[in-house]
Amino acid sequence: MSFMPGQPVSTVVQRIEIHKLRDGDNLILGFSIGGGIDQDPSQNLFSEDKTDKGIYVTRVSKGGPAEVAGLRMGDRIMQVNGWDMTMVTHDQARKKLTKKNEDVVRLLVTRKTLEDAVRQSMMQH
Amino acid sequence: VPAQEQSPSNQTSLAMMQEPQEVMEETVTIEEDPGTPTSHVSVVTSEDGTTRRTETKVTKVVKTITRRTFQPVILTESKPSPSTATPSETKPVTKMVKTVTTRTVRQVPLGPDGLPLPEGSSPLGSYTDSIDRRYMKNGERFITPQATSTLTRSYNNYSDSYNDAPDSQFRHYALHDGYGDMPNNYGSLSRGVNYRPYQPYMPTGGYRPENSYTLPIRKDDYGHVAQPQVPMGSSTVDLNRSQPERFQPEPYGLEDDRRSLGPDDEEPYDLVPDYSTANRRTLPGHTIREPLRNGPRVRGYEDPIEAELIDERHPYIHGMYPAPLAQPERGSLASLDRMGGRRSPSIDSIRKDPRWRDPDLPEVIAMLGHPIDPVKSNAAAYLQHLCYENDKIKKDVRQLKGIPMLVGLLDHPKAEVHRKSCGALRNISYGKDHDNKVAIKSCDGIPAHIRLLRKTNDMEVRELITGTLWNLSSYEPLKMVIINHGLQTMTNEVIIPHSGWEHEPNEDSKPRDAEWTTVFKNTSGCLRNVSSDGAEARRRLRECEGLVDALLHALQSAVGKKDMDSKSVENCVCIMRNLSYHVHKEVPGAEKFQDPSALQGPGSAGTQRKKKDDAGCFGGKKAKEEWFNQGRKNGEHDKNYDTLDLPKRTEPTKGFELLYQPEVVRLYLSLLTESQNYNTLEAAAGALQNLSAGQWTWSNYIRATVRKEKGLPILVELLRSDSDKVVRAVAIALRNLSIDRRNKDLIGSYAMRDLVSNLPSGQQRPAKNLEEDTVVAILNTIHEIIIDSSENARSLITAQAIDKLVAINRTSQSARETKAASHVLQTVWSYKELRNALTKDGWNKTHFQPIPTGTPKGSKSCKPGYDDTTLPLMETNQGNRGCSGGDVIPMDELGPDGYSTIDQRDKDSKYKSSDGSSDLQEREPLKNDTNRKHYIRSNRPTVSLVDACDVKPQPVDSWV
Repeated sequence: MSFMPGQPVSTVVQRIEIHKLRDGDNLILGFSIGGGIDQDPSQNLFSEDKTDKGIYVTRVSKGGPAEVAGLRMGDRIMQVNGWDMTMVTHDQARKKLTKKNEDVVRLLVTRKTLEDAVRQSMMQH
Repeated sequence: VPAQEQSPSNQTSLAMMQEPQEVMEETVTIEEDPGTPTSHVSVVTSEDGTTRRTETKVTKVVKTITRRTFQPVILTESKPSPSTATPSETKPVTKMVKTVTTRTVRQVPLGPDGLPLPEGSSPLGSYTDSIDRRYMKNGERFITPQATSTLTRSYNNYSDSYNDAPDSQFRHYALHDGYGDMPNNYGSLSRGVNYRPYQPYMPTGGYRPENSYTLPIRKDDYGHVAQPQVPMGSSTVDLNRSQPERFQPEPYGLEDDRRSLGPDDEEPYDLVPDYSTANRRTLPGHTIREPLRNGPRVRGYEDPIEAELIDERHPYIHGMYPAPLAQPERGSLASLDRMGGRRSPSIDSIRKDPRWRDPDLPEVIAMLGHPIDPVKSNAAAYLQHLCYENDKIKKDVRQLKGIPMLVGLLDHPKAEVHRKSCGALRNISYGKDHDNKVAIKSCDGIPAHIRLLRKTNDMEVRELITGTLWNLSSYEPLKMVIINHGLQTMTNEVIIPHSGWEHEPNEDSKPRDAEWTTVFKNTSGCLRNVSSDGAEARRRLRECEGLVDALLHALQSAVGKKDMDSKSVENCVCIMRNLSYHVHKEVPGAEKFQDPSALQGPGSAGTQRKKKDDAGCFGGKKAKEEWFNQGRKNGEHDKNYDTLDLPKRTEPTKGFELLYQPEVVRLYLSLLTESQNYNTLEAAAGALQNLSAGQWTWSNYIRATVRKEKGLPILVELLRSDSDKVVRAVAIALRNLSIDRRNKDLIGSYAMRDLVSNLPSGQQRPAKNLEEDTVVAILNTIHEIIIDSSENARSLITAQAIDKLVAINRTSQSARETKAASHVLQTVWSYKELRNALTKDGWNKTHFQPIPTGTPKGSKSCKPGYDDTTLPLMETNQGNRGCSGGDVIPMDELGPDGYSTIDQRDKDSKYKSSDGSSDLQEREPLKNDTNRKHYIRSNRPTVSLVDACDVKPQPVDSWV
């Protein structure tokens, strides 16, 4: 999925709602992110286009809230609670995800398998 | 040549922008000072009560006596448990005190200057305190034979006024000397004993609240109380004692009254009318107050313990105040009005009792030299009260030579005396009338304050002293005086101990956090002000032992505790910012770190620039290719720098060297990320701006460190701030940071949109409505970013800036904005590879040319004075403008000039050419990347470099 900053993107997205798990003072989502406009995109293992500086899900902890909600490794996060994640720094993305006052995070993600699935279904028709 | 000429103007404008920052901050600081002091006073007062106990021990006996006097009264009310009642009452009283204090605090913000409201409350409070003290002290003295004698003297001294004074006044006197003398009083006393004991007390209480003038009140109370006492007292001795405790103030007060009596009619300060008890009661406020009074009174009289008495009184006083506080303005202002002679007829009529009056100002000042210490302290406290928020009285005090007397009392051994004197001086030192400040300085008041600061451990006194110094530091000519006398003392006595920094930390002791005390706030505010007094002041502060270390420690502690919005933090950051200004020129040994290119003369720099520009003009391809080439070059540079720096690092850095170590970048970035205080944000951005200016090794490191610490996104985000000055400081910082080539590329990619969105669109200002200085700063930053980078120029176009730029160029009413926009446009047009795209968008060459001077618009925008010369120059430039445009804006200069001292600002130097533009022009050396500096802390494995182009950063992975 190639992506040009500032350009409209048409892609298949999935909405994922994650309820944070409270662990002491911490709220846990149970996944890790990589990427961001301040990161080296060429080292992103999950991007198709090695110039993509988007935010990707790099790991999902087993049995954690994210996995329960259906998030998968390699998902590209487009939005967090309505905030655009395609043109943000790594830290900005992290902050949006880890707001202390939000117990629920709604993600808009896209993943290759998703596109593939759609494409296949369209081919069938 | 033309290009060079332009540059000065641009530079100047940049400088301008920065300058305002400094000034603004300073002004703010100053104003805040006064407010704080006043409010503090009130608080202090309550605390003082405790201290005084010791002095009054003698009073115990007296109290007993007093009891007797009042017993009858008590009986009527509640015989069963006078003693028990007292304690219980006391508690409530204490609470009341607290409430009062809180109110005072609230009031502080309320006051227009911050001061007014607090003043009303605080002065009163202090005043009252002083009264109490007098009581206590007087009691002692009275007991002592000497004391009695002194009283007599005072009598004699005031005999003149006596004569003038009505009989009633005399009676009061008589009371002190001999109660038997006063028939009238006795009569009243007898009544009071039986029925009115409360009333007399009541009046006292009511008195204070209403009038807030202590002196009169005391007298009234005095009179009333005294009368009862006389009859009651079994022995003269007892009577005397009792009197002193409660009424001791009276003796002094009486003296005062007498004096005042004479002048009363004319004197603005007279309180005479207020003192009658009947009036007090009549007053609407009384109802409320009375309950309070009763409580305290009862206790006071009943309690055998001095301490209780004292407590009661204070609370009492506070309690009284509550009513006025509830209507702060009325209460305090009303009292002020009276003092100022603006008595309203109605009030006068209410106060029927003409017997008492306050001393007039000359009398109060004369009392500062009175042989009895309590008189001195009371007089000083009264002056503090009178001066609160009243410029006229401050001026009068000055003209009556009261200031030297107050300063003289600073060395007085008795805490009570120098404390009150400090309070008065603080109020006097506050305000726009610099003559008062100068008067304090002229009688060596500054060293006297510093002496006392060294001597005293009393927190209240220290707050007062530092508050005064803060006030004084707002006046330019005094700044160096303060530095000369007080810098090291303030650092050693306040800054270092309160910062938590330790010269040689013990292994076992944990690092201490900073204590954000009022004393620290005041002192840091003072240093913040003096730190703006030019190069010499900066040098002194930088070389002041332990100062920079302590400030840094305090700030780091603030960051660690996420407590970054306070005034103290703001002050510290501002000091750091000011001290960071021109470090590359002013710090000892700076020349060793100068970039070789920077050492060249301006002329050579110009030629260098030109070559560079030519390269740029050749085409867009330059951008990337050149960039890579430079990257290689920079790599080599880096090696050199590393070897250069390492030796330096063998010893732990300390003192002013800490100012520009790359470690501070993280501190400032933390502040920029977390603080909500605009002044702090501006100062932190300003510090980065200062540090990233200049052509020496350290600024190279700083620029790279900001990038590696992910500072660029933080700064870019602040471009969206609502605060004009924050946006401005950030924009200029970005400009200086873009001296570093990688920073330039990153900023061009990611900041352009935010920069452009801050520009006014067309004739319509954006929602933010940024000031001219800010708009110019942004334009200059944009200009800097697109110079030598067609890539960045392209993203400028993508960000749809051309619309706005053309609009500014054609329609802005500001010549500076017009010029800055014109430079940007010229540079954009100079990239031939972009012209195609521009033409497609409907632009043509004319849009990118400067507006000729001749046009109405041009003449409009260019006010006579500055721009006449510049505009023509710009036109001539057109040919080679694109490339040369770059020369125009020396980044380095901008930063420093901004921070130049106030004097410069005053000179309206905006448009005069900046001196140091030459060094700035040579940027090439700057573009070294410092990828692998050892100094960058490695303790953060997760931190990836912001600069994607830098050496491969580790991919960052954050668990969420």
